[in-house]
Amino acid sequence: MQPLPKFEYREPGSVAEAARLLAELGSRAKLIGGGTDLVPSMRQGLYTPAYVISLQRIADLRGVAWEDGVGLRIGPMTTLREMEASAEARARFPFLAAAAREVGSPQLREMGTVGGNLCLDTRCRHFNQSEDWQDCVEACVKRGGEFCKASPNGRARKCFAVFSADLATALVAANARVTLQSAGGARTIELADYYTGDGASPTAGRPDEVLTEVLVPSAMQGVLGTYLKYRMRQAIDYPIAGVALTLRPRDGRVHDARMVVGGISSRPVIVKGLGALLEGKVLDETLAESAAKLARKSATPLANTAGDRAHRKQMVYEFARRALAEAAHAAAGAGGGEAR
Amino acid sequence: MKQVVQLNVNDAEHELALDPSRTLLEVLRESLGLTGTKEVCLLGSCGACTVLVDDRPVLACLTLASACQGKRVLTIEGLRQGEALHPLQQAFIDKGAVQCGFCTPGMIMAGKALLDRNPHPTPDEARAAIAGNLCRCTGYEQIVEAIVAAPAVDEAARVGAREGGHYLMPDMAE
Repeated sequence: MQPLPKFEYREPGSVAEAARLLAELGSRAKLIGGGTDLVPSMRQGLYTPAYVISLQRIADLRGVAWEDGVGLRIGPMTTLREMEASAEARARFPFLAAAAREVGSPQLREMGTVGGNLCLDTRCRHFNQSEDWQDCVEACVKRGGEFCKASPNGRARKCFAVFSADLATALVAANARVTLQSAGGARTIELADYYTGDGASPTAGRPDEVLTEVLVPSAMQGVLGTYLKYRMRQAIDYPIAGVALTLRPRDGRVHDARMVVGGISSRPVIVKGLGALLEGKVLDETLAESAAKLARKSATPLANTAGDRAHRKQMVYEFARRALAEAAHAAAGAGGGEAR
Repeated sequence: MKQVVQLNVNDAEHELALDPSRTLLEVLRESLGLTGTKEVCLLGSCGACTVLVDDRPVLACLTLASACQGKRVLTIEGLRQGEALHPLQQAFIDKGAVQCGFCTPGMIMAGKALLDRNPHPTPDEARAAIAGNLCRCTGYEQIVEAIVAAPAVDEAARVGAREGGHYLMPDMAE
């Protein structure tokens, strides 16, 4: 079989050691969690790091725990299966456990990690191809060429590859924050700000940084959430569209609603104006339809993944509508003050 | 540079000097001659290379062999118990869950992982467990039936063993 490009392999035992290695090796190194994203890309020759640094032996990076006044702390090396099975996640934010379960297949969730999902590389039909295929065509902008072939006239100089991580989309809706550590110190940023929108360089993480914690703030306690995924098959596939919704029902009315759409752009897209539209209102069918139309408006997919553009856009509307209907149903069931 | 890696495969200890870029699938098939684990898509999309690492079903094509240092690997070759087939293997035969056979080792390992955690799965639980394994021949129905039937096959084998007989490896030469 076609071997992987050669690299040196390291397994640091602590975050400090990993940060030291990254400070020394910089962009010559790639971090590996479960390998489900990096290894196929290396197999296709898309990445040829000189060093692969595994985080698997760093025990501190694993586990899901609730801390009063702080929130749900998720270690980035927690596997997606551990996330979907986590009693704390299921009790406090069941939609996050459910979103983890939507990823890939049982084997991919057994290997893949929460951090790996957040750092998932963007994908495009012009980029994620074998070396033989790539040899026959002009390189796209993500492969060092001049133009994005998926852009409408094929002349954009920016990469529009798609961000397809299910759990990440749900975590943005949950106002999650991430902590990034380098040899020089640590910083914590909103997960939403972690994504740049540039398909060629999708996260704001620097080559010398390790993602060390994902936190869903304690203020999110009691929020209702849902994540719905549209794909061709009910397993393995990346989302054609993924819709995450969080809101707080009070007295039969909606508060703090936030909708995030994945699988259509180079970043998880926060639906603008949706929170304001729904704030303090009773979520009936008419309002849900207006909100779903906002979601559709925010989705401007390009011809870079499965499904044509108009279809994907329409399915964002459809899945947004379903997510809102589910939330309305759950809010009524949660004893929001009005019988359903 | 090669690294020395200790692997426990099917209860046998191996010490191998490996280039770190080699996957578990390459090492199983090419260094250890265990070709029961199949190579198909090499991209994590088909499940044919499913093996158990520390009892967890993983894809050998995406697993670096170096990352398995000190771990226990179980492949399809490690399932049989002496001369007897594993009950799940026998159930696959009994239910006709095999056609071309290329997906079968991966299907059985995914099914085994389910049965280890949930000894009496429902058909839907069996379907969920093999959701990452593609089969282009059977239509999956007999595979699901085999996984669900495995506990009964296991019980029958136990009763058979008590009464002096047991399921034998079928002689392929006959």
